[in-house]
Amino acid sequence: MRKLTDLEYLKLNKFQAFIYNLKRFFCAIPGWFLNLFLAIGRFFVKCGVAIKDEFVDIGTTFIKGNWAVKTSFLVFGFGNLFYGQIARGLLFLLFEIVFFGYMFVPSGGIYWLSKGHWFQAGATVGSVQGSFQYDAIYDTDVWVPGDDSVKVMLYGLLTIVFIIAFIYTWRLQVKQCRICMDITAQGKRIKSGKDDLKSLVDDQFHKTLLALPVVGILLFTVLPIIYMILVAFTSYDAAHDGYSNLFSWVGLKNFNELTDFGNGGLGLAFGEILSWTLMWSLFATFTNYFLGMFVAIMINKKGIKLKKFWRTALVMTIAIPQFVSLLYVSKLFDSSGIIGESLGSIPFIKNYLETNHYISLWDSPTVARALVIILNIWVGIPYVMLQATGILMNIPADLYESSRVDGASPFQQYVKITLPYMLFVTGPALLTSFVGNLNNFNVIYLLSSGNPINTQIGSAGGVSVGHTDLLITWLYKMALGSGESRYYTASVIGILIFVVCAVLSLIIYNVIPSTKNEEDYQ
Amino acid sequence: MKNKTIQKSGLGARASRRIGNTIIYIILTIITLVWLFPFFGIVMESFKVNVTGMDGELFPEKWGLDNYTRLFNDTDFLKWFLNTALMGVATAFFQTLFVLSMSYALSRLRFKARKPLMNLMLILGMFPGFLTMILIYKVFSEAGLTMQMAPVGLVIVYCASSGMGYYISKGFFDTIPKTLDEAARVDGATRMQVFYKVIMPLSGSIVIYTILMGFMAPWGDFMLASYIIHENSQGMSVAVGMYEWLSKTMLNTNYTMFCAAGVIVAIPVTAVFLGLQKYYVEGVTGGAVKG
Amino acid sequence: MKKIIALVLVLVMALGIVACAPATETPTPTTGGTTNTGSDLSGTYDITMWVSEIDGVAALTQEMIDAFEAANPGIVINAQIEGVTEADAGSKVVADVASAPDIYCFAQDQLARLVQAAALAAPGQKAQATIKANNDAGSVAAASVAGTIYAYPMTSDNGYYMYYDKSIISDEDAESLEKIIAACEANNVKFRYALENAWYTASFFFATGCKSNWSMNEAGEFTSVDDDFNSAAGLAAMKGMQKLAQSTCYDSNADIFTDAGVVITGIWNANAAADHFGENLGATDLPSFEVDGTSYHLGSYTGNKLMGVKPQTDAKKAAVLSQLAQFLTNEENQMKRYEKYQWGPSNKAAQASESVQANTSLAALAKQNEYGQPQGQIHGSWWDIAKVLGADAKAAADDAALQTALDNYTTAISGLFSMTEDQKNAWGVIGNICNTNWDTDFAMTDNGDGTYISEVLELKAGEEFKVRQGASWDVNFGVEFNGANIVVEADGKYQVKLTWDGAQTGTVELIPAE
Repeated sequence: MRKLTDLEYLKLNKFQAFIYNLKRFFCAIPGWFLNLFLAIGRFFVKCGVAIKDEFVDIGTTFIKGNWAVKTSFLVFGFGNLFYGQIARGLLFLLFEIVFFGYMFVPSGGIYWLSKGHWFQAGATVGSVQGSFQYDAIYDTDVWVPGDDSVKVMLYGLLTIVFIIAFIYTWRLQVKQCRICMDITAQGKRIKSGKDDLKSLVDDQFHKTLLALPVVGILLFTVLPIIYMILVAFTSYDAAHDGYSNLFSWVGLKNFNELTDFGNGGLGLAFGEILSWTLMWSLFATFTNYFLGMFVAIMINKKGIKLKKFWRTALVMTIAIPQFVSLLYVSKLFDSSGIIGESLGSIPFIKNYLETNHYISLWDSPTVARALVIILNIWVGIPYVMLQATGILMNIPADLYESSRVDGASPFQQYVKITLPYMLFVTGPALLTSFVGNLNNFNVIYLLSSGNPINTQIGSAGGVSVGHTDLLITWLYKMALGSGESRYYTASVIGILIFVVCAVLSLIIYNVIPSTKNEEDYQ
Repeated sequence: MKNKTIQKSGLGARASRRIGNTIIYIILTIITLVWLFPFFGIVMESFKVNVTGMDGELFPEKWGLDNYTRLFNDTDFLKWFLNTALMGVATAFFQTLFVLSMSYALSRLRFKARKPLMNLMLILGMFPGFLTMILIYKVFSEAGLTMQMAPVGLVIVYCASSGMGYYISKGFFDTIPKTLDEAARVDGATRMQVFYKVIMPLSGSIVIYTILMGFMAPWGDFMLASYIIHENSQGMSVAVGMYEWLSKTMLNTNYTMFCAAGVIVAIPVTAVFLGLQKYYVEGVTGGAVKG
Repeated sequence: MKKIIALVLVLVMALGIVACAPATETPTPTTGGTTNTGSDLSGTYDITMWVSEIDGVAALTQEMIDAFEAANPGIVINAQIEGVTEADAGSKVVADVASAPDIYCFAQDQLARLVQAAALAAPGQKAQATIKANNDAGSVAAASVAGTIYAYPMTSDNGYYMYYDKSIISDEDAESLEKIIAACEANNVKFRYALENAWYTASFFFATGCKSNWSMNEAGEFTSVDDDFNSAAGLAAMKGMQKLAQSTCYDSNADIFTDAGVVITGIWNANAAADHFGENLGATDLPSFEVDGTSYHLGSYTGNKLMGVKPQTDAKKAAVLSQLAQFLTNEENQMKRYEKYQWGPSNKAAQASESVQANTSLAALAKQNEYGQPQGQIHGSWWDIAKVLGADAKAAADDAALQTALDNYTTAISGLFSMTEDQKNAWGVIGNICNTNWDTDFAMTDNGDGTYISEVLELKAGEEFKVRQGASWDVNFGVEFNGANIVVEADGKYQVKLTWDGAQTGTVELIPAE
């Protein structure tokens, strides 16, 4: 589709302009996908080139390097020691010693790696199964522990990480030796350990700042996530918990289950839950957003008194733990709760409930879904209200002033000034809250626990499916709810949640202009 | 004539504004009542005496402090309360350290890994964090950080990955003009000195906001905590301990006590919150503007 | 300065790994020698325990432990006792067997999962005999998998019956579901019955004679189910359930008593019921309902609470724990629990005592138990699958919808058994042998020459069995293909041998062992 010039665009009437924009939006979609694939392609090409360059560089380093550089190919940090970077060289050397020590001691790295039977479908993770043995003297069974699959997989994974770190460090110290050699050849001074330490509070200050948080994220988020991705390829559940019974590798079986729409498959349930999850997320995000903004505008309107009081009243909800307030609220709407009972006695509601044999409002799929969305407003508005307050204060007052002079009504001001400004500024926050709502476990779990049961689907994978179940509550039921603690299915669902979030984010990032360039705002 | 028309419209505007404001006051009053109603209900529930379970009434038939005396005499509530308070303080400290380091580095410093790091954290945020608990529990169980030691373990969990929640404070740092840094750098300050001598003094509200968020985390968390605590009454937080009272066999006797405990938990959190509300609002709004 | 931080990180991690690598424990169980429970068990033992979370149970248990120490000089027990609800203590244990408590109390429905997860140490031979002799048959069956007792029966009261308001419902009306519904509707009170909980849903199906019996192999894995909920009788049950579920007085929350005229619940709510109904409290068996002119008395599960011991690596400690568990579940201590909490004992002598006989709640339970079924071992996922039927009955507009619900139920159940080819081809011996009741397949080894042989089984005269393939009755042999059961003629140790041509010809022989 041809892009119109500014002049041509201005000539269009409103309707034509709207159609033009709409067309452009949809025509652009194939382009995004094309760009996405191109980007992926470019990424791989880039990686390939980078790897090639690395090897070439390693080769030339070896050929051109002096004997110290060459030795450091085998002995870590030798070059650093040779060029006087004692502390750094010793650290490298220590690392190498620890690495080889760890790999080859009994029950070290090699041991764990060999036990894992990695990705061999049908093979167990770990090799020795624990068992009972009868002790005749005490007339009792004794437990002889075997391998623990959980540990075998964890230590195996850590070992792989360690090996990658080893290769990286090897490359790093070889490169450093080369640099030292070059610098010496140019007759310049090599940085000492003292210089290194100094730079940590100055040029390299980000390393000091980031060390702890990044280590925390690596150990407590990245590692467990990789681990859980591995679990999706195993049979890890309550019956095969690794300690009492080893679990095994099962290939893609768990993924196939999820796309199986027949008996025993999870396909139908997944489709149903996914569509409600998206619907919920959309409603929850936008109701909160617009109503929260509305409340903020009211409170901040000129001439309204007691601003602080109104704000405090709303913000109080944040201060009280949700598991207390939401549980209470959920009971309020029960058949014998104060609100549920009075609503239930309104004739048309009463009639509706009775004809459908519903006891409480929570029994009706439609009403239950509406209720969780409405009650979520109660939870979410205070946050949005606070955010919106700040933004409203930042909108230049002269914009309103001049529009008022032009005779704009408050509603027009809202549509022409407030809303665009808010949307522009909070675009990214809106995305975050959309993804947050997708995984809003607390609200659903505490209000409805996923009920009422979806009688069309009943149960899948041994777990009943409810009309208000989100993917995340379904995952919870799979992993820790009643039934068989299918950690493997839970992992697959987790991966799918990720895919859903990632796809949505990609789309939204491409549509909302303000997300594209963060530097623009600084 | 002309004058008169203007006057008329002026009067009309004022009148309509008054009507508008009245409507707004009415709406705000209704909203406030709706928002505060559950708290009122919980407080009322906590004063009920001799009630089996939920009786579906708002006001107690018989008033009394029985629930509160039971709470402190017959249960481990005080222990849980102390556990949670300590966890709150520790979490507030470490989480602030982590979040501020991360957000400051990402906001003010430029380095090669900056963009990849932000992208990585964005991607990680899309995995349901809940899944990570299964492995973390196993590791903690090996290391003895569950059960009695659960408070320590939980603080580690709350803090370790907290760097990923850098968005709001980064937004705040983004709003501080960069010229300040540059001036200090010209005067010979190192980057670290710029951090704690120039930027920190300007960032009171975001620091307090982060502390507040960290302090509040253990009070409301139920899912992760119950997993790590694994039924040990010595290591429990209030949320987990109280939730046990809602089991099938306990619900009828303990529901009103649950509400009483809810009130007690709400008091310190609300007090701290209201006291520091100003900073909270500043932190949220300052940060949110830049997303 | 290049990535030294990264380096240190990795170092720390590496050291962590080395430090974490487990010390290889090599427990040395003593084998051989004579059975001698009189071995010296004195010593100090640190143990952890989970008991019911109800106020005071932990303290009572501590008193009992003190009594145990007094009775066994030399044994010192430092117990750390936690209150954990028995309904899901099992799932908590299964989540982390390695750090589970040494002794824990749980509701029987979790037994199979616990055995499967090797979270229960079977009592020794002597203890097995004692348990069997002292407790009622239902509780012994509840504590057994494939003929072996795995836990110590503690109560026989885990069932449900009806509490009702005598001022609204006459004793005569209390026998008919329809009359009770009418009375509740007329008085605008609630009929609380947790039909969306499979434990209660099942009562309607038991009433019409349906069954859901699950078979396991010795490892505690479920191999098949004999379930006829999806039948004419099942449809009648659904219709009966629909009557109640679609009534305006019905409420599926039976954990609370608000506005209640009738509550179907168990002994754990005895005090709450007394509070709520006051002098109008009535307690009796469940009523009958009428469908298509036939009257059916509602059934129920009869269940037990059990005490389990975690497998130990130290034989001595295992022996002490077993002794302790036996002590805690003996007549005296079951009576103590009864006196304080009205928990109905499983011990036969305690059941016979006067005060237990006189208890109204237990009397109601006993009356209902005549229509009850022992819970046996049930697949953990069944509860979630079957509870849907309760929701279905409420939502169904016509009989066709009820039938669809039953079809869905069957589909979901069969989905639980996704067997491998090996499992489908495997043969097993099943019967009322070795303390099992047609619910356990004893595996047979394929000799590769068209013959299959079982392990040595101890059979008694008069016991009956068959052999079947893939834990299903599609291919089975008795005296002939799909024929009558084989009857054991004389007590003894036998191996069961099958010679099979791969189709419908085959013979089953009993080969005396040794």
